[in-house]
Amino acid sequence: MHIDGERVLSCLTLAATCEGKEVTTIEGIATGETLHPIQTAFIKYDAFQCGYCTPGQICSAVALLNEAKQGEVSYVTENIGPKSTSMTLSDDEIRERMSGNLCRCGAYPNILKAIKEVHTGKETAATWNFAKPLDQQEDANNETV
Amino acid sequence: MKPFKYQRAKEIKEATKMVAANKSANFLAGGTNLVDLMKEDVMRPDELVDINNLNLKQIKSIGDKISIGALAKNKDTANHPLIKQNFPLLTQAIMAGASAQIRNMATNGGNLNQRTRCVYFYDTTMPCNKREPNSGCGALEGLNRMHAIFGWSDKCVAVFPSDMSVGLSALDAVIKVQDEKGKERSIHIDEYHRLPGDSPEKDNNLKHGELITSIEIPKNKFGKNTYYLKVRDRASYAFALVSVAVGLEIDSTNTIRHSRIAMGGVAHKPWRAFIAEKMLIGKKPSKELFEEAAKMEMERAKPLEHNKFKVTLGACAIVRALKMASK
Repeated sequence: MHIDGERVLSCLTLAATCEGKEVTTIEGIATGETLHPIQTAFIKYDAFQCGYCTPGQICSAVALLNEAKQGEVSYVTENIGPKSTSMTLSDDEIRERMSGNLCRCGAYPNILKAIKEVHTGKETAATWNFAKPLDQQEDANNETV
Repeated sequence: MKPFKYQRAKEIKEATKMVAANKSANFLAGGTNLVDLMKEDVMRPDELVDINNLNLKQIKSIGDKISIGALAKNKDTANHPLIKQNFPLLTQAIMAGASAQIRNMATNGGNLNQRTRCVYFYDTTMPCNKREPNSGCGALEGLNRMHAIFGWSDKCVAVFPSDMSVGLSALDAVIKVQDEKGKERSIHIDEYHRLPGDSPEKDNNLKHGELITSIEIPKNKFGKNTYYLKVRDRASYAFALVSVAVGLEIDSTNTIRHSRIAMGGVAHKPWRAFIAEKMLIGKKPSKELFEEAAKMEMERAKPLEHNKFKVTLGACAIVRALKMASK
């Protein structure tokens, strides 16, 4: 869920601490009957199987889009500079930023496709940088950690 | 979960007085560790004092130091321009820990005070000297793959799980605390957390009722020569098997003038690699030098039955982190 627009864990939040704050759950992500683009993309790419983790995945993905716009870094971000500018996330960046949401059905490839389409604004298929030939990798000098 | 009283404090003095007056009271900040431990019945406070309204969130420059508030969120700290500019090592270390949701909730003070994730500490049907003094240590001769290779005692072999604190150790941070009488203390990060010894129930040297107010980090000359390497069982969202924070001051003749190496996942506190640090001074960065320093450091390790791999892994991680930092 979101508290004041930030993604957090409901299971570690005491309700009494939420007084005066804006709490948004999956029920508040759509605008009336109009789904959020992330919700539409999840349906388009079949980004779930049993659906148990889906509310969390969607709330998390919606917040991830805003965090990328704010230029927030992650552990896999190269060249951390003082400025925060809007960034376009690689597949590995999206995976790292979504790592707090587990999916036991293993719908990860489709979750990634759905988020990437909304994030970049264009239809997309998932790729794995490490699985490409060396000369086609996004940054061949980037040693994997 | 045991019933408890919940109160909100408006001032530091009020909060510290409330907690000092009740041995079974705890401060509640982000709650990411405390609430979990309460649900698991590992920690059983009867009173929580919510300190989230206290004015301890600023991150600011004070002379030649940067002060980060105890209640600033981990996410906001890692992304703050002053931190990214002066201590990219701290940004990396914070972002290596937990998940986005947890970093949005977790505070800097809470990160320092988080408890071990030793499975015997969490499992209330098992003995654990940290949870229940004198009940024994389940891990000493149990499943100890994730446990300590430095500084452990036969009372406790748990490791301290924080990534942020390992970064702070390499940055010579100072923890500022205040008690219920308003008395302030400054504790260097290396003296803040404890080795288990005979009292593994004490993670750190904070007294009951004392509150962390801020963390001060002196500006340094590491420039771009820092790195935080975390090695874990999966690519993300897992505690460290081994982690290494490195800061190197390299002069214009490519000579190392000053070095800091701290390790996570190997001890009951962030573990400074003092031997390796000293071996680098006055030398030029090279693979051979880094390998020799890592070897000498790890020779002191005392692995348990299931974590001998951490000795080799630790040496490789030191070499790798030094290489990345000296690039």
